[in-house]
Amino acid sequence: MAEAILSTLRETWSGYVEGLRLVIPRLLAMLTVIAAGWLIAALARAITGKVLGWLRVARLSERTGAAELLRKAELPPAERLAASAVFWLLFLGFLLAGVDALGFSTLQALRSEVGLLVPRLAGALAILVAGLVIANVVRPVVLLAAVNAGWPSASLLAGAVYLLTMTIVTAMVLDQVGLARPMVLTAFAIVVGAVMLTLAIAVGIASAPLVRRLLDERLAARARPESDGSSHL
Amino acid sequence: MSTILSDELLSGLMAVGQLDVLVGLPTLNHSDSVGPVVRAAHVAFNRELARERTALLNMDGGSTDGTPDIVRDASIVDRETLLASQSLRTRHRISAPYHGVPGKAAALRAVFAAADLLQARAVVVLDPEIASVTPESVAALARPALAGDADFVSPAYARHPLDGPLVTQVVRPLFRAAYGLALAEPLSGEFGCSGRFAARCLEQPTWESEDLRLAIDLWISGMATGDGLRVAEAAVGPRRLTARPRPAVAALVPQVLDALFTCLRLQEAGWAPGSRAIAVARSAAPPPPPDPPANVDAAGYATLFREGLSALGGMLERVLRPATLEALRAGAAADRPHVPDDLWAAVMLELAAAHRHATISRDHLVRAAVPLYLGRVASFAAELAGLEPRDADERLEALCLHFERSRGDLVALWTAPLR
Amino acid sequence: MSDALWYKDAIFYELHVKAYSDANGDGIGDFPGLVTRLDHLKDLGVDCIWLLPMYPSPLRDDGYDIADYCAIHPQYGTLDDFRSFLKAARDQGLRVITELVLNHTSDQHPWFEEARSSPDNPKRDYYVWSDSDDRYRGVRIIFRDTEMSNWAWDPVSKAYYWHRFFSHQPDLNYDNPAVREEIWQVMRFWLELGVDGFRVDAVPYLVEREGTSCENLPETHEVVRELRRRMDAEFPGRMLLAEANMWPQDVRPYFGDGDGFHMAFHFPLMPRIFMALRLEDRKPLVEIVERTPEIPASCQWGLFLRNHDELTLEMVTDAERDYMYEEYARDPVARINLGICRRLAPLLDGDRRRIELMNALLLSLPGSPVLYYGDEIGMGDNVYLGDRNGVRTPMQWTGGWNSGFSVADPERLYQPLISNPVYGYQAVNVENQRRQQNSLFSWTKRLIQVRRSTRVLGRGTIEFLKPANHRVLVYVRSLDSEKILVVNNLSGTAQAVELDLHDFAGAIPIEMFGGSLFPRIRERPYVVTLGPYDFFWFKLRWL
Repeated sequence: MAEAILSTLRETWSGYVEGLRLVIPRLLAMLTVIAAGWLIAALARAITGKVLGWLRVARLSERTGAAELLRKAELPPAERLAASAVFWLLFLGFLLAGVDALGFSTLQALRSEVGLLVPRLAGALAILVAGLVIANVVRPVVLLAAVNAGWPSASLLAGAVYLLTMTIVTAMVLDQVGLARPMVLTAFAIVVGAVMLTLAIAVGIASAPLVRRLLDERLAARARPESDGSSHL
Repeated sequence: MSTILSDELLSGLMAVGQLDVLVGLPTLNHSDSVGPVVRAAHVAFNRELARERTALLNMDGGSTDGTPDIVRDASIVDRETLLASQSLRTRHRISAPYHGVPGKAAALRAVFAAADLLQARAVVVLDPEIASVTPESVAALARPALAGDADFVSPAYARHPLDGPLVTQVVRPLFRAAYGLALAEPLSGEFGCSGRFAARCLEQPTWESEDLRLAIDLWISGMATGDGLRVAEAAVGPRRLTARPRPAVAALVPQVLDALFTCLRLQEAGWAPGSRAIAVARSAAPPPPPDPPANVDAAGYATLFREGLSALGGMLERVLRPATLEALRAGAAADRPHVPDDLWAAVMLELAAAHRHATISRDHLVRAAVPLYLGRVASFAAELAGLEPRDADERLEALCLHFERSRGDLVALWTAPLR
Repeated sequence: MSDALWYKDAIFYELHVKAYSDANGDGIGDFPGLVTRLDHLKDLGVDCIWLLPMYPSPLRDDGYDIADYCAIHPQYGTLDDFRSFLKAARDQGLRVITELVLNHTSDQHPWFEEARSSPDNPKRDYYVWSDSDDRYRGVRIIFRDTEMSNWAWDPVSKAYYWHRFFSHQPDLNYDNPAVREEIWQVMRFWLELGVDGFRVDAVPYLVEREGTSCENLPETHEVVRELRRRMDAEFPGRMLLAEANMWPQDVRPYFGDGDGFHMAFHFPLMPRIFMALRLEDRKPLVEIVERTPEIPASCQWGLFLRNHDELTLEMVTDAERDYMYEEYARDPVARINLGICRRLAPLLDGDRRRIELMNALLLSLPGSPVLYYGDEIGMGDNVYLGDRNGVRTPMQWTGGWNSGFSVADPERLYQPLISNPVYGYQAVNVENQRRQQNSLFSWTKRLIQVRRSTRVLGRGTIEFLKPANHRVLVYVRSLDSEKILVVNNLSGTAQAVELDLHDFAGAIPIEMFGGSLFPRIRERPYVVTLGPYDFFWFKLRWL
């Protein structure tokens, strides 16, 4: 009995060691690939930054208005953004290659799935970036317009617009990726519907007089900058 | 090779020949206001400048409302004026389109080119949006250059101290700090100048620049700091704009600030060295009493100041020094907005530098300045309550002096970014 | 005026101190008198005075026979007077160049007196001696009206001496280094006093060689280069102007590679200007300019209409000379030494329009113009005074006593004033003309002002346009991007001319005297109409 147990243990142990002997080189290979990938991606980022600087991309982006757009979106300058994109793309590739080096069929299958997913991910990334830019452009514009028009709670308004924009963008991203599509659609509909319903009930039925009075008081007291600025010149 | 002067315009200029005073009038759809301006110039030619060789040159940017026809056909309707101002000479009146992107810059360039070709001794540029132009004011802008006493003649309007705060609180003091030139109206759309000044402006390479189109009026005033140029001011009475609707304050302030900061950037090489002020010759005539002041909605401005400062704090942190922002917050929190001269000077200098370095989007920066400006106006209005106009004028002068003394700060901020 | 190439922009004014203004009442102009008239030159707008010889001299060739190179003739004042004059000129912004007679001295010069005293005298070889007059056969005689030979017998030293000019002007021997050193010391003397340069007389004849024309020899050029080297080393910014009455291609070597003369007169151009006017045809003028070789960038031609000498007709063909004599000097008394000895105004029959056109040509053709004193008011001449004295009469300042030239008795003047009703001093004088806006003096002032408003006319290139109408002379002067179009009507009748200006399409011609605008130049022919002897200077602007 003891012999059997020992034998089983011995077999299990040798199997384990055998497994380790198989896995460790692959693990090391994966780490090497990832580390090398990181280095190469970092070098590529640096070179890209230098080349873009030499090509005076900063001046070009100023002239085309792209720099202003990025500033409005509170994103880094164009050349840094491009260099970062180069870094992440390269690194992602090496990451996937590293996973491949492990040789696990499950992971390889997963990598293939990820590989298939890449175009949709790229699309989703594009939507996310565009969405971020739009949201970051729109927020300060709404904020400044509201402040200068004397609207109440300008920050709240700008924040709400930003949130709404990002909600839509998030839903679009998830839809693009194809994850839990029905759930996303439903959740989105519920959130938006609920917000709309709440506003309608509050303003239109239950608190009409109160809201009306509040709005009247606040708006009456609200200063409006002159509609004609002639006297300021 | 592209030309500044069209053949049609050149034809007109050939007929005019050498002259003493050229009056330039840029227009673009000004049919509602251009008539009185043309008539004022016409009477000025015949009555105030009777012996001089004069011409009116209307540079039109492609009006679709018949402005050029009005210019050509405008005549004196008042019989007494007509009799009193019979002309000794042929008076030329030319209306022609100009080459280039429509805008005042292209129009002025054509006027300067025409003045240079015709060897005009004096040039007067009029603004069709100013309703208070008179024959006397036209002559007042021409005479110093005609007499060879000045190269640039800026108008000096009879203003109430609370009138035109964008000019008195922003443009005038900052212009003075940077250029060392104590002009009352650097932003004026009308001015006089000598042929030499016109030729010098014409030589500048910046005419094609987008930035110049935005800041042309200030740029012209800035050119007056050039080597060897003499500057004068002419008292031209009160200033009234035509009735056409103008942008709201919320749009006007960013426009003016953008133009001002852009102009500082375009002409940074021409800033006055040190703090020497350039002499300005003033007309001896006593100024007429100013128009009654516009009402300042101090309470409203105070609210906008407070709420704007609160909402835009995050943005302003990136352009103003912490101490300046803190002081603004303290000033907003008081019962009445308190933005003293030193704080206001710091705000304007830091905003100017941030605009130059594009620390944040320039468009956002000038819009974020609106509540700060309104706060300052409210603060200043409160200070002036109860003061005599003469004392109020001294306060305005004190503000300008404060900006002048802060010139070193401006230069330091300009050459090194805030962050 | 610190520009090293100042002579390219300068307008020169030639005068003889004896003829300008007399301060001490002896009837002869002097330096103190000249000082009192500097404001006239300043007002006129000239830049540099060229003084004719003012050295001690027996005056048998109006001062070109020099007896002492480093002094002032007592008639004209003292060396101190000259220094005062230089200072006053400088204060008025005027430069001064003086005459430097390199080729010969007076036979009363101490050097010659020593040289002739004995064959063993150290200064014997300062001059060119010969036992016979056979040497240098075939060399032309310059003053053929008065000289029979280039050799003269000296009874003192019993030998012949060489002279290319008058026999009382023995030629210096430039093969002798001592002579070159002496001449350099002479130059140094005046340069140290402050003169801005020299007009060098009779340059081509410095060196003689058997079997040659004894003119323009390589050795002559080397002498010039050596003097130039020494002058540049010690006195940079000074100028040497050559008088070499030669064809342009023969004058060209005198510029060297910019290491010879700074300037040289363009002798052949001058008679052709007169010819073109008379013929009413641009051909002679265009041809001579087009045949003029390129000169180094630092060099400049000197242009003139008239000067103290005769209007020389050496550099023309016989047919051309005959034509000039017939058209301009019907009376043989005006003809002298292969030339015509008359002033500008009488040559042009006092025709104001022709005088203006000639001056406009002088100031718009490539080179630096030299005005002869008195021509700015249209002074006349007296051909009966003999030799070239008829064009060297006293300057006419006023209509009063001696025309304001001198307080001496009129009979005591070095030469009588011009006093006929047309050109006499009562009618033609500076004071009259200063009071009149449309006088020739006022007009000449304005012409000079316009010329000075641009550097193109002094430093620019020239390109002739050749429209079908030969009576109209048209050229474009260019310097960098600046262009001036010059149109001249050489005829006495109104003319119309079509010009091919497509190279300048888009430009606006601006007439330079009045600033009037002319229609913009297009690809199609540009029509210009001109009145008799009219001219236009157009500045081309692209706007």
